[in-house]
Amino acid sequence: MAIALAPKRRTDWIGLVFALALTIVILVPMLVVITWSFANVWRFPSVLPQQFGLKFWQMTLARSDVWSALSLSLTLSAVVTAISAAICLPAAYAFARMTFPGRDVLFFSFLAGQAFPKFGLLVAIAAIFLQLNLIATFWGVVLIQLVGTLLFMIWIPVAAFQSVDRRMEEAARDAGAGPLRVFWSITLPQAAPTIFSAVLLSFVGTFYETEGAWLIGAPQIRTMPVLMISFINNQPVIQYGAVLSVLLWIPSLIALVFTRRVVNSGSFARGFGG
Amino acid sequence: MTTRPPSGRAQSRGLIGLLLVAVPVGLFAWMTVWPIISGLVQAFTPTQPNGTRPFSPANFVEFFSDPYSLSNLGVTLWTCLVTLGLLLVICIPLALYLRFAQGRLAAYVQTMAMFPMFVPSIILAFAFIRVLGPNGTVDLLLNAVGLPKIRSPYLTPWGPVIGLVWDNIPLTVLILVSGLGAVSNQAVEAARDVGARPLTLFWYIVLPRIWTSVAVVISFTMLGLFSAFTLPYVLGPASPEMMGPFMQRTFGDLRDPEMALTQATVTMLFCIAFGIFYVRAVARNRGK
Amino acid sequence: MSKLTIADVSKIFSTTVAVDTFSLDVADGELVCLLGPSGSGKSTLLRMIGGFETPSSGSIRIDDEEVIHLPPEKRPTGMVFQSHALWTHMNVFQNLAFGLKLRRRPKAEIKERVEAVLDLVGLKGYGSRMTTQLSGGQQQRVALARSLVLEPKILLLDEPFASLDQHLRERLREEVRDIQQRLKITTLFVTHGQDEALALADRIVVMRDGRVEQVARPDMVYREPATPFVAGFIGTMNLIDGTVANGTFSRASFSVPLPVADGPATLAIRPEALSLTAGGQGIIHRVTDYGTHGLVDIDLPDGTRIKSMISDAKAFAAGQSVDLKPTAISAYRDNAVIYRTR
Repeated sequence: MAIALAPKRRTDWIGLVFALALTIVILVPMLVVITWSFANVWRFPSVLPQQFGLKFWQMTLARSDVWSALSLSLTLSAVVTAISAAICLPAAYAFARMTFPGRDVLFFSFLAGQAFPKFGLLVAIAAIFLQLNLIATFWGVVLIQLVGTLLFMIWIPVAAFQSVDRRMEEAARDAGAGPLRVFWSITLPQAAPTIFSAVLLSFVGTFYETEGAWLIGAPQIRTMPVLMISFINNQPVIQYGAVLSVLLWIPSLIALVFTRRVVNSGSFARGFGG
Repeated sequence: MTTRPPSGRAQSRGLIGLLLVAVPVGLFAWMTVWPIISGLVQAFTPTQPNGTRPFSPANFVEFFSDPYSLSNLGVTLWTCLVTLGLLLVICIPLALYLRFAQGRLAAYVQTMAMFPMFVPSIILAFAFIRVLGPNGTVDLLLNAVGLPKIRSPYLTPWGPVIGLVWDNIPLTVLILVSGLGAVSNQAVEAARDVGARPLTLFWYIVLPRIWTSVAVVISFTMLGLFSAFTLPYVLGPASPEMMGPFMQRTFGDLRDPEMALTQATVTMLFCIAFGIFYVRAVARNRGK
Repeated sequence: MSKLTIADVSKIFSTTVAVDTFSLDVADGELVCLLGPSGSGKSTLLRMIGGFETPSSGSIRIDDEEVIHLPPEKRPTGMVFQSHALWTHMNVFQNLAFGLKLRRRPKAEIKERVEAVLDLVGLKGYGSRMTTQLSGGQQQRVALARSLVLEPKILLLDEPFASLDQHLRERLREEVRDIQQRLKITTLFVTHGQDEALALADRIVVMRDGRVEQVARPDMVYREPATPFVAGFIGTMNLIDGTVANGTFSRASFSVPLPVADGPATLAIRPEALSLTAGGQGIIHRVTDYGTHGLVDIDLPDGTRIKSMISDAKAFAAGQSVDLKPTAISAYRDNAVIYRTR
């Protein structure tokens, strides 16, 4: 493989093969979905839709179940992200900058959840929720999503706080700022871009979380992904699913734009043990 | 003027620190540690008709003597192994290419490889059906050039395999590329200098350095695959089904939380070695 | 009028003693350099004055006012950090105005004072630049300005030029000295570079293992080092361990008259105070020609290597045997001076 790097100006055949293969396998399916969403009529065996148009966008957007699912998903994501930020960011600061008994043990304890297959864990939580009558309630789903955000809403901001130069904070103390002012004027702005990525990931992650919402929320709580499953399973009109997919995809594209830098950095991969 | 005992301030700061982390730690303990313990206990203490709950492996005896459960476990293992094999075969060359190549083409390949991370699996499932399902895009194209339709993998065990491979490419590549960072350009150039051919280079120089990363990928993917739910539920066959949908059905449709917990315990026990290895790898990396 | 009084300050980190009963008076407008190798406790001392470390014991007074219980933001000190520690999310003006805003000064006054101090450090018109767009030297100037703009009673500089190259370091050193003289600001400067200390300081405090080795004017530190450590740390110095018997110091074949009591002694001779004559016990190992002068390495028969500075490098060559004639010596016993020429 290392051949690829050596002589310059030689055609990068391996790269071309990868690029072509990945384009076909990864990009084409997405294009097919987008095409479907704009197809007013597409009957077998035509390679392209017989008629393009926005008919199904209008019809999908006119469905009340889509709107209620969308508003539920947005509310859910906003609530989970806000609570998660409110409880995790102070904790992350404490982990990064304070010494207290059991700090390391508690910090690494958040990993324990990663040692178990996720759905198995969800079933165990669901069994507890069953006794607490939290099944099929909004707050039950909030709780389960919240737990899912804990690890990276603590670990990513901890790394962000730790990477803030302590001398910058000391210089601010020296200039006359008290500890709270230093945090507000120096530490937080310095850590903000990374923390913003974590918050965004938390929002998007909650928005797309399917398994917990399905297991805990069904049948009353229907988030967008849960609605999508029912469209796939029960909806004979393909275009509804296609339009919903494209709609559903928008937050992810926004996240893609904003978090690319974080994802491409080495520390992100290391966070997964790489 | 003189000595100020620093311990007073340090202690109160310690208390503040504990206070700040208390809520997330408490939440985590209540919603992760406690369910695992309580789940284990419940699975091992089946409710008797008279209401008592003595310790007994009866639930597990039932699970392992039920041919349907066993075939579900079997199809889960099969899916994991096939998916894992395919992932490694695809991602190791891809990661090697990305580690050593430069330029715009490499950047494009990297973007493409990372792209699935931003495609929610439910959208992937829909796209899969539209492309590989009956009368999907592949069928359309084959039909257009006068070839017979494919045997669609939709609703066969291959459905989840294809979906899961697609879904797991980004993180697998990321972890492998990160591991390949340990192979210095100089090491490779030195080996080429003494005349190593690409395969020799891979076998003797590169592979020894990325064993850990490969092991991390294996554990990480096993943990993810073993209880995968969405893709197997949407793309896989109704019977036998993978452990994820099986647990969901037992819990939600059959309303048998005790048996669902038993199934969850079985999946956890099957993955425990991977889980411990993975968590240790992450902790070690974070400790750096 | 701002003077600094440090009395019996100690700092103990769990098991190691970083600063050991340190006392020093710094007069108003004086520039004192704390000089020592890394780990000598000089930075810890500075950080205790700034309020970033709490002394284990002792007292720090500024204008006779105890500051030891004050947090950094309440102390009348201004610190310039080694890594400049500029706030990268603010531009130059915002960096300088931050402390003034905290003090709720009127906008017009802030603007005026920031511009004045930018002018002082030679960065007029740089206010709207982001700190990351500046060169290393400019960043350090901004850091200095950020401290000066608050008009601290005591200016603390913690190896501020350590990350800059030699040339820039020398220029900034002179600028700092000029600014300090103009503002007459009481200054403590931590460095591990003897050049910097010799060029800047009114007084130098040489530190080692958390203790004071010597406090003196720069020329005195060079000419009359109080201990063998100071002798070896400042400038080049031949330190020769030997014994004194009957008024003569000897080490192997090398001997010098030394009118002190019998016993062990360490002889200190500057290379420039050691002249060479042809023929003798020392063998020249190498002659290095620096143009203006030559430096000769001489090996004594027991392997001791001695350096001598000569005016004409061509006068001697490697392999030649020479006799060593010290013109000025110091001698130490038990870490104290027992004899000094003149």
